[in-house]
Amino acid sequence: MTDIQHAERVQVKLFASKPAADPLDLVPVFHRWIREDKVPGELLIDVADYTHVWQGPGILLVGHGIDLYYDLGENRPGILFARKRELEGDLKARLIDALKRALTACKELETDGLEFQASEVLVRVPDRLHAPNDDDAFTAFVPILEAAAREIYGADATLVIEREAAGKREPLTARLRIDDAPPVAALA
Amino acid sequence: MSERSWKDALGDQVPADLGKEIDTWQGQIDLKKQGELGDKIFAETRLRRGVYGQRYDNGLRDDGTGQKPLEFPCGELKKGPDTVWDAPGMQRIKIPYGRVTAEQLDVMSDLAEEYSDKILHVTTRQDIQLHFVHIEDTVPMHRRLAACGITTREACGNSVRNVTACQFAGVCHSESFDVTPYADAITQFLLGHPDVQDFGRKFKIAFSGCHDEPCGLVTFHDLGATAKTKDGKRGFELVVGGGLGAVPVEARVLMDFCPEEELLPVSQAVCRVFARLGEKQSRARARIKFLVQKVGIEEFRKLVAEEREQLRPDPRWTDFLEDLRGPDEKPVRDAAPLPDEGPERFRQWAKTNLRPQSQEGYYVATLTLPLGDISSEQGWILADLARKYTGDSIRCTVEQNLAFRWLSGADALAFWEALDAIGLGDAGASTITDITSCPGTDTCKLGISASRGLAGELRKRLTVLQDELDPAVQPLRIKASGCFNSCGQHHVADLGFLGVSRNVGGRKVPHFNVVLGGQWTENAKSYGMVVGAVPSKNVPQAVLMITKKFVDEREEDESFQDFIKRVGKFEIRNLLKPITKPPSYEEDPSYYSDWGDPREYGIGDLGVGECAGEIVPFVEFGIQAAEQTLDEAQDLHDVGEHGKAASKAFRSMLTAAQALVRHLDHEVRDDADDIVKLFREHLHDTGLFNDPFAGGKFASYLFNAHSAGDETHWLGADLDAAHRLIDEARLFVEATHSAYGRIGETPNLTKLQSAATAAPAE
Ligand code: SF4
Repeated sequence: MTDIQHAERVQVKLFASKPAADPLDLVPVFHRWIREDKVPGELLIDVADYTHVWQGPGILLVGHGIDLYYDLGENRPGILFARKRELEGDLKARLIDALKRALTACKELETDGLEFQASEVLVRVPDRLHAPNDDDAFTAFVPILEAAAREIYGADATLVIEREAAGKREPLTARLRIDDAPPVAALA
Repeated sequence: MSERSWKDALGDQVPADLGKEIDTWQGQIDLKKQGELGDKIFAETRLRRGVYGQRYDNGLRDDGTGQKPLEFPCGELKKGPDTVWDAPGMQRIKIPYGRVTAEQLDVMSDLAEEYSDKILHVTTRQDIQLHFVHIEDTVPMHRRLAACGITTREACGNSVRNVTACQFAGVCHSESFDVTPYADAITQFLLGHPDVQDFGRKFKIAFSGCHDEPCGLVTFHDLGATAKTKDGKRGFELVVGGGLGAVPVEARVLMDFCPEEELLPVSQAVCRVFARLGEKQSRARARIKFLVQKVGIEEFRKLVAEEREQLRPDPRWTDFLEDLRGPDEKPVRDAAPLPDEGPERFRQWAKTNLRPQSQEGYYVATLTLPLGDISSEQGWILADLARKYTGDSIRCTVEQNLAFRWLSGADALAFWEALDAIGLGDAGASTITDITSCPGTDTCKLGISASRGLAGELRKRLTVLQDELDPAVQPLRIKASGCFNSCGQHHVADLGFLGVSRNVGGRKVPHFNVVLGGQWTENAKSYGMVVGAVPSKNVPQAVLMITKKFVDEREEDESFQDFIKRVGKFEIRNLLKPITKPPSYEEDPSYYSDWGDPREYGIGDLGVGECAGEIVPFVEFGIQAAEQTLDEAQDLHDVGEHGKAASKAFRSMLTAAQALVRHLDHEVRDDADDIVKLFREHLHDTGLFNDPFAGGKFASYLFNAHSAGDETHWLGADLDAAHRLIDEARLFVEATHSAYGRIGETPNLTKLQSAATAAPAE
């Protein structure tokens, strides 16, 4: 019996096909986003630089309900959107919101010369209470993620959901692959 | 929204007493939300659970174009005076003597990922901190920590803070004996003890296994214990009243030899004397060092001895002596010598990062953590490495690193390869690239300059140069603090940096005071001397200039400390002179923002008009003159003219005070009485000079110096008195800079005074 629907925290990461020349380039960009209130409805607070940490959180735009990372995990830079709190609804709603906002952030960064691909999404549920990284939780998670992804990519999209980090201490993690995904700008 | 909770999920994995405390904490949060608890009481309660405020938690942030409100959804709800409920905060996790088990590292990595920013930060007091945490997430965090044997109780607040000890305790060649069980016993004994609940300020305890190495750093602690044996019996040299902070003070010897069975009762007696007689009203003078200074060490000893006599015996004083094996730390692999082979990078690493234990065939491996940070992912992998190679033997170090003990020589290469695969295989532990820094302006509410930004920049540049650096330069230590509170321990570094700000042409420019020649060895035996301030962006150049001079002019085998003493401040200041003045904003605006932060530094607080950059207001000349006089005082002090030095230091304070009084358009004469009277009336009593966090501390330096006597009186000062007055004068002049920054060029007194009375209290 899993109560994964109660999981409040979700993270989605879209990978850069043309990353920033230097991750530090994102520092002034994120400061500007705070000034210009670039994530509608979300309070943005500050920017933190973790580029000194191996494959770490990179550049972090800290918010109240959400965080946005120019994440360096897997040695593959990308935009990681993290929902922490302040979103009513079920897990599917939170995933849809996270996907949309990650896509929007990527689209915005594409105007600064970066490029992202929408065909692969890393999805995590860092909530070990409601979503332990076990088979039951993953089985319950797949249809929810699939439904959320179809809202974004279309009902007929060819989706593959793979489990990652099974049995490890990492949070419940899935990799979503989308065949023939349109460009980020078309989805955001 | 959910019915499941960590309390249910963990059940009896949480020890009953810790579970009860956390229930109480949850209850206090509920009461606060219902408006049943006052802000001040709640703030102290929260701090005692290690739940700190963080920068911008007053709900305001300068985004580079001016100060803007942060509209948190909590509305008016506060978690302390002027501290917004929803604002992210910091959770300090108290790690007694720095010891972490593999399970604990796993759990803290989970917590960092779920509730923080995926980063675990090791502090200079062997704690671990998580940043950007919401207050309501602290309850499940505390439960999950308790389930693996960690309490955050008294991690902050006016209580006994984390008890620290050498990371090599029990495996060290030079120790008298293993201090671990003693550090453990005092931790347990004083945690929540009724005698430590009524302090005016925090109380820090440190243990060292020997006198000569720096690992324990006992000399700058409130209470320090150094292991020694006498006639075959174990005991400690106890020192008391040390501290870094604004004016560093070396601890004084309380007992030359305290037998082991007396360690706990004597410590208890010290705490009782501190609780009874320590200052409670003025935070600025509430540390035990001020009490020791006030009554004198002889009287303090007497008070402690009397208090000790009156204590009712407690079996816990000696129970722990029956089993001194300490924590269950056993090697998991057989001992073996270190092989000679391996790639060059491994051999470099082994040279600086492996230290043979007193147990043959075992080594302590130090992992140099850039800026003291690891990610959750690295944490999980390190926990696995501990399980495989070393057992539960990890220690956080005061240099913000992790030490893995009980590594068999035969495993060293495989261990290093695993570290290198996660970016932690760099050599250079305890060398010039292994830089310590407090959080500074990144997250600390009190930060003035970006100490982490500076440390990161220096690390990058020095790592590139590492192989070319002279062998005499490589072992030098660099430490940076974001403000005078000195959490980065810059006073005891070879090259220390202390964040300050300066007004230049109507704008603020981040600077660092350069502090040279502090001594890390012999338990941080002596403190460095302040040479002067350099713009933040010129600090890397200052490092290169100073180290080059050291290499070029050092006498045979001369230490850096001896070199600095011989050459003197005057010469170093002359060396740095070409880089002490920043270019104008128009020439190079990069000087007007700090490392790693593109926002214009402090401009929102200044509110400068467009043309202000072209005018140097009169007040700035006054403050510069004060600095000049202070430099002269320092030079006189260096050549042994202590009386003249003290007199000049006092004059520098008067000059700075006079400049500010004039700036407020008041007629002021040159004599001390008039300056102090008007300063008190218009700057102190109005709150205008008060530091937002240190309150009236810096003003009290002027008042105390003035009430001691006039400039002629100070001509009779001895070395110690002159040294202290110079340090205080430096802080006073710094505070003048800050006050001027707050007041601005055209003072609007009504607005300023109402802001001053609303200054935060935390
Ligand atoms: S030294 Fe100052 S800036 Fe640094 S952590 Fe301490 S209080 Fe904060």
